Amino acid sequence: MAEEETTPGLDELAAELDTRRSRAMEMGGEERIAAQHAKQKLTARERVDLLFDPGTFVELGILAHQHSPTGGPTEPDRTPADGVITGEGLIEGRRVYCAAYDFTVMAGSMGMIGEQKVARLRKRALLNRLPMVWLLDSAGARIQEAAGSTFAGSGALFYEQVQMSGVVPQVAAMLGPCAAGTAYIPGLADFVPMVKGTSSMALGGARLVKAATGEETTDHEMGGSQVHCYISGVGDLEVDDDAACIAAVREFLAYLPSNNRDSAPQRENDDPRDRRVDDIAKLVPTNPRAAYDIRKVIKRLVDDGDVLEIKPTYARNIVTALARFAGRSTGIVASQPMFKGGALDIDAADKAARFITLCDAFNIPLVFLQDVPGFIVGTEVEKQGIIRHGAKMLYAVSEATVPKVTVILRKAYGAGYYVMCGRGYEPDTLVAWPSAEISVMGPEGAVDILFPKQIAAADDPAAARAQYMATVRQTIDPYVAASWAMVDDIIDPRDTRRVIIEALQGAATKRPHRVWRKHGVRPV
Amino acid sequence: MAVTEVKAELVGNLWKIVVEVGQHVEEDDTLMILESMKMEIPITTPVTGTVSEIRVKAGEVVQEGQTVAVVAPD
Repeated sequence: MAEEETTPGLDELAAELDTRRSRAMEMGGEERIAAQHAKQKLTARERVDLLFDPGTFVELGILAHQHSPTGGPTEPDRTPADGVITGEGLIEGRRVYCAAYDFTVMAGSMGMIGEQKVARLRKRALLNRLPMVWLLDSAGARIQEAAGSTFAGSGALFYEQVQMSGVVPQVAAMLGPCAAGTAYIPGLADFVPMVKGTSSMALGGARLVKAATGEETTDHEMGGSQVHCYISGVGDLEVDDDAACIAAVREFLAYLPSNNRDSAPQRENDDPRDRRVDDIAKLVPTNPRAAYDIRKVIKRLVDDGDVLEIKPTYARNIVTALARFAGRSTGIVASQPMFKGGALDIDAADKAARFITLCDAFNIPLVFLQDVPGFIVGTEVEKQGIIRHGAKMLYAVSEATVPKVTVILRKAYGAGYYVMCGRGYEPDTLVAWPSAEISVMGPEGAVDILFPKQIAAADDPAAARAQYMATVRQTIDPYVAASWAMVDDIIDPRDTRRVIIEALQGAATKRPHRVWRKHGVRPV
Repeated sequence: MAVTEVKAELVGNLWKIVVEVGQHVEEDDTLMILESMKMEIPITTPVTGTVSEIRVKAGEVVQEGQTVAVVAPD
């Protein structure tokens, strides 16, 4: 009789599994976790816990670890989860995929196995039409695994992100470094919040820059939030710490549908649809030279004053924000007279074009609040390519097929009126306040073009100019536009909220046809 | 009681100050007006209260983020 084999029972096997799992949960170990906390950063697992509704996260690939592609030794204990926590969970009850890079494991570097995990996640996000979130805190590609010409096989991650673009929302939260080519992850994402002081992104890290060009810099100096949220426009929102960053991700996703086939989310609230904004006259002066803060107007108009401003510190002459009207997510594009008088420059056009494209891709209706003196003109902006940048905004607003509502508060001059969804750009409703000034240009510019000889020949040129100004000003009258039915109505400014909500609801079933084309030739 | 520092949101010439120390102001009231890019840009109080300090003079250039006044909230 053969000797009886003793095999471990299931309980015993489960205990071993527990041990392996517990080891993975320890990430890079106590010391590295302490170092992470000392930098005011949370660990990848703490971030994942904050991101998802409690108890809903399901991890995939926790038992994975680094392998050497060249057959060299592997270090399972040093590389739990291979440095990236991947899985899915619920955010306000809706399923979202997440890849959280673990800086305590080989500086969150992107290794072969970890990237296979993330690739699988991207595939699932696209297959199941659900959003994808990256929590980035990574030194970049793991050079030990990637050096050499097998590099030829890499790079599909960005291709895949492009395929996901406009199908599912993509969020890249910057919670640490994101060095080298991996900076294209945020570059291709729809929303990029950045933690002040700890996050950075750059196509080449400081050490590479030094080697390549001799320039002395630091990752933070080159690619921190003070660069990307203020100057470059790559970042969408600067936040104070990790918790605020994760909260911003949740807030952003709450405004978006899970994919491009879903409607914009509807979140009920008690803010009356016909609520009058009684103090609006205090907020908006009628003197065209007097500026005001459009953000205060937006806050008064939307449901419960809740607003998520996108790129609030970049191109501040235009405001782009997500908010709700009658519970429905809505994108707002508004002139900001506080900065540059609300005139449009290249950055403002880029910012608005991108935001309009985002909203249109995800079925989020658009509201335009116009107080725009036009585009900035001159040699400087021409060198910057204001024509092609301005064209992006024309393009985006023309392509957008979501409900569009335009309100003219004060100035609606020249091409500024066009790109802010003037009559020619198919607003479903276009209304103006009695203070609206719709014109090809402001009276000051107009007199110098229309009457230069008369003014020069006058005995008192200044008085003549003032007189011609008054004449021109008389032709700028919203009731003229209304009398030609070019605007749908002149409204009492206090009723703006009600009018916007009615207009959005009126256009909710909009299904415009477009001529078939592979795609347009988008100005860039 | 905590006071509220009112800061300039952008660089500009301080054109005029329209309140005085000790004056009571309502939220969103204009305290002073900057002049920049041919526009008059108001600096408003975020809180209702009493102006306890004015730290700038008309004609000065104020910097973004500079505290221009202090308001003691009610």
